Amino acid sequence: MSEERETRLLMISPSSMLTPDQLVRSVHAMNKDVKVKETCYGCLVEGRREAVKEVLDQIRGKYRNEVFSKRRAYPAGDPRRCRAQHGTRPGYSQLEAEWALLSNVQYGLECADRGEKVEQVPEKGPLPVREFKKICEE
Amino acid sequence: MKVFIDPPNSLILFDIVERFGHEPLSAMAAIQEKIDNLEIDMPPMNVTLDDVVRGLKYAGVEVPSGIRGRMAMWGPMIEEADAAIIMDNAPYSFGCVGCERSNEMLKYLIKKRGIPRLHVVYPSNEEEAKNFVISAKEFLEGLGK
Amino acid sequence: MTIKIAELSCGTEYSSVQHEIEKAALSVGAKMVYPDVGAADVDDAVKRFGFNPRSNQLKLMIARAASLADGNYDADAVFICTCFRCAEAALVRNELRRFIQDNTNLPVVTYSFTERLKASQMLTRMEALVTIVSRKELLARERQTGLTAGLDSGSSTTKAVVMQDNKIIGKAWTGSGDVIKSAEQVLEEAMKQAGIELKDLEAIGTTGYGRYTLGKHYNAKLVQEELTVNSKGAVWLADRQRGEATILDIGGMDNKAITVRDGVPDNFTMGGICAGASGRFLEMTAKRMKVDIEELGPLAMKGDWRKAKMNSYCSIFGIQDLVTQLGEGKTFEDVAAAACHSVAEQVYEQQLQEIDVRHPIIQVGGTSLITGLVKAVGEILGEMPIVPPDSQYIGAVGGALLSSGFL
Repeated sequence: MSEERETRLLMISPSSMLTPDQLVRSVHAMNKDVKVKETCYGCLVEGRREAVKEVLDQIRGKYRNEVFSKRRAYPAGDPRRCRAQHGTRPGYSQLEAEWALLSNVQYGLECADRGEKVEQVPEKGPLPVREFKKICEE
Repeated sequence: MKVFIDPPNSLILFDIVERFGHEPLSAMAAIQEKIDNLEIDMPPMNVTLDDVVRGLKYAGVEVPSGIRGRMAMWGPMIEEADAAIIMDNAPYSFGCVGCERSNEMLKYLIKKRGIPRLHVVYPSNEEEAKNFVISAKEFLEGLGK
Repeated sequence: MTIKIAELSCGTEYSSVQHEIEKAALSVGAKMVYPDVGAADVDDAVKRFGFNPRSNQLKLMIARAASLADGNYDADAVFICTCFRCAEAALVRNELRRFIQDNTNLPVVTYSFTERLKASQMLTRMEALVTIVSRKELLARERQTGLTAGLDSGSSTTKAVVMQDNKIIGKAWTGSGDVIKSAEQVLEEAMKQAGIELKDLEAIGTTGYGRYTLGKHYNAKLVQEELTVNSKGAVWLADRQRGEATILDIGGMDNKAITVRDGVPDNFTMGGICAGASGRFLEMTAKRMKVDIEELGPLAMKGDWRKAKMNSYCSIFGIQDLVTQLGEGKTFEDVAAAACHSVAEQVYEQQLQEIDVRHPIIQVGGTSLITGLVKAVGEILGEMPIVPPDSQYIGAVGGALLSSGFL
């Protein structure tokens, strides 16, 4: 079963103009044998692993740095993880927190596409004791 | 290559690893293995007493059960991994990665395996995010296929 | 009506116990729920709470507690549980319990689990939470009316009490053997003292481990767990129906520490990690010394615990300590005092750290008859507990009192 089914979470970066509705319509337009469920952050796509992969490749091609994705362990609507059954699960806060970071990651990906290189950031560390002592004495 | 991600349920790390051509080893995959097992009815995650006992491979009985249960799940993935990306000080490690002691143990086991690993810092602005993405890209592209 | 029990927990899903917790709740008509919180709420709640744990699941627990305190989430009771042996979680668990008590009126119970936890071990606790929520009016009852009986089928002893118009008119106890036969024997005896027959009884209430079996056998009007029933019995016997109190019941198998407000529990702990802190250990001690358990208390009163070293958590090692001390020629009095002190100390270390002791302390149950143990508890707590008359009959009295509410 697990070899077969794959559930994917597609999340739209907060700085993208894309809406979950447009994303869902894009997936439908591909006419693949997958289930699509619109969510507040994007959508869930579920189906056979190969079909889901094809959807994902096309979405990444179309919305290169605006849509992010990871697998989801539970099938869509699984009562074991359904919010309506128990309230939010811990993973919800995780997604929320990661969503907030996606604009920055999107920017980073765009820089990478332009072939930019890592900028050396001076390492922040505690002030050496000797220097601190000097400041205190001044 | 199989790249373990830490935090193992991170959307961002999963996406980056996959985007740059590798297979992420994630919590989601490990949990799916468990929950798709129809013979076990231990919702929500189908973690059984046997799993927690299996965790004794990583930590003794004086270690809390939640840590041993987690190690039983993530440990085998670390053994399977060819490389790892670790985000240090990720402030968002909720859910499967809610226990800091387990997370410390994960990092330690990755180091002990001696596989190529990249430590990235949680980016708090665009510049840091840029460095994070580019260094991850370079690391992943450097791994080969 | 399904009672909603808010779960504030860490580690349950990875310890293979989440399902057991939910099963226990379901079997008593309750459901575990998780208060909704967003990522931003977590940081705010942790700042407000002032304890910043490293583990994010513990931060989430704090945010969920804050959501309950602010009335943003509707629940009837709270269950706080974390992995046994996790120090960080133990600190958060206890402080969150205080936070919930300070900021809500919800009954709360704390628990630290191992992977061996089974639903049956949680049943009494869950049932008590449900009783407190769903039987508020019944628990407010302060007077027994009519002619009723209470049966308490405990792990060590079985007790029966017959009450009429708020007075005890018959009582008896025996060691627990077969659940039904032991109960029949003590009820028969209590009814004989009261001068009545079974058909005269207007209602029966059962409690303790054998409550379901006895409830069915006697067609009892009340079948209820011992946490709430014992609390009612204790405050009735001690005539402390109003105000606050702590009820301490060192049982044969489980120790109970319950804080009550107007006779209704709002926080309790039940259990004991090792049998070294139970009445059973004192029984073993008496047996090894070849004295009656009734003699152990007076012996201990005469001794000085400081003169014999006994402080094992485990009843087996405790007995080893005892043998060593006797071998070294320590007096029976000192050894008996040390055994009592050791039990009291462990109850203080294990149970009483999970609740905030309120005054007065009412010590009940069969072990409250061991005077040396009561003295030891008093010494450790700095306040002598009240031991009401008939203190071993709390469960049976509670059963008789509460079952009269069904007349």
